[in-house]
Amino acid sequence: MDHNEAREQLELAAIEPGGIDRLIAGDTASAQAVVAHLAGCPECTDELARLERTSRLIGATIRELPPVDLRERTLASVRALGRPRGPSLAASVDQPAGGPVSLPSALSRDSVPEGPTARGTSGRRAAIGWVAAIAAAVVLSVATTSILVGGRVDQRLAAQSDTIHTLEEVTAATLRVTAEPDAQHVALTGRSDPNLMGSLVFSPGTSELVVVATGLSQPPAGQEYRCWVERSGTRERVGRMFFSGDLAYWIGPVSAVSGLSGGARFGVSLVDASGASLDTEPVLDGEL
Amino acid sequence: MAERQPGSTDDANLVRQLAAGSESALGTLYDRYGDAIFAAAYRLTSDRGAAEEVVQETFLTLWNRAEMFDPAAGSLSAWLHTIGRNRAVDRLRAAGRRPQLVALSSPAAPDESETQALERAVAGGRVMAGAMQPPGPEEAADAAHLRDAIRIALGAMPELERMVILLAYQEELSQTEIAERLAWPLGTVKTRTRRALLRLRQALGGEFGPSPELDAVPVYTGKDR
Repeated sequence: MDHNEAREQLELAAIEPGGIDRLIAGDTASAQAVVAHLAGCPECTDELARLERTSRLIGATIRELPPVDLRERTLASVRALGRPRGPSLAASVDQPAGGPVSLPSALSRDSVPEGPTARGTSGRRAAIGWVAAIAAAVVLSVATTSILVGGRVDQRLAAQSDTIHTLEEVTAATLRVTAEPDAQHVALTGRSDPNLMGSLVFSPGTSELVVVATGLSQPPAGQEYRCWVERSGTRERVGRMFFSGDLAYWIGPVSAVSGLSGGARFGVSLVDASGASLDTEPVLDGEL
Repeated sequence: MAERQPGSTDDANLVRQLAAGSESALGTLYDRYGDAIFAAAYRLTSDRGAAEEVVQETFLTLWNRAEMFDPAAGSLSAWLHTIGRNRAVDRLRAAGRRPQLVALSSPAAPDESETQALERAVAGGRVMAGAMQPPGPEEAADAAHLRDAIRIALGAMPELERMVILLAYQEELSQTEIAERLAWPLGTVKTRTRRALLRLRQALGGEFGPSPELDAVPVYTGKDR
């Protein structure tokens, strides 16, 4: 067996799962010939080592490449399962018709854990109560949206559909975070308005956070309700509250709660939408 | 697919278009981040099927929650990677598995430091033992350069050669199994496999390239189809 014949065998073996091991084991006549060649050929032995390194690198890279049809399948799944979107629907999410909405009761005081905070109440009863509260908010928000939008039936249906979809998202995220073993529930209280209240659940492990609030009016033009987490006197911005019917909410990953084990505060402040400042008194807050 | 710089205003514009219902914007963002989300999910799960589902769920979440993205709070890349990582961990938990023991830098988001990744992993109780020291910046850059070279070479090679190399590495098929799958003669599979491997090695060069001590090897062996 010459260099080229040995090299061909090595290349073909390098690209098969376990191929080099089988070749070196010398189970076949051609494999035995390769082994014999390698024993007396340092160049081919070096080439074997290069091939093994190369094949590992290529294999690791190729296995991390998605299949070519995943893009189309992903877009198709969004088409089939995603919330309906379009200029009118997007606008209805950001600015539900009707201006400031009459407030709440979607989450009654009975439905949130008692006391200023409820850290560690991740027991089954607390979780069920919290999820039930969200479910109640779904029903009430849909009803409110229907009343506020008024007008044509197709507009009402579109607004309801969008509201239902949004609240399904909130509910699904709540269930997912609540299922985390380290999930922590926190009751948020209004600073000056007793009707203003909220609930928050987060997982320090996954850093996902869900917050809902009732009693917030739609912010005035040019302003928004901004969520933040304060640690060691520094506030980190989280995101702005969105409104769906009576419910104000925010869902998503928050790096500031990653690994959090107390000593932090979550708040919602009314700020200028154009600015980055969070240094205003919160309208709603709670200890994490 | 190369990722943009964190906090790119271009990303923010695309997310706004997506929120207004633009499927084209979704496609552009998939092209920008889909590969990286898949790779990160695969590293965590070692399961290509699970990684595919994670990618689909991540972009579905982006579509459903586009308004939640705040470019001032962080990059879209980090946001998507966090969603993808959480979905991957959900799948591992559902399957009663633990995440793979990987170098601590591996699951880090592109704009997350290794220290931040470690703190997050420790807080989440996902570190079971020490892993190898993560590669330094130069090594990481070299590895990324090599992976890019492989992707580019794969994209440029003839379709039939790419097909055999993908079946060999992604589905871990033997050459005999590839021949059966594609109804090709075994010799054809071997020829195309060697050609593809040579192209990839030439693209990599250096310590991964064809051995300079050996004579040039005729890649074409036997009768091709």
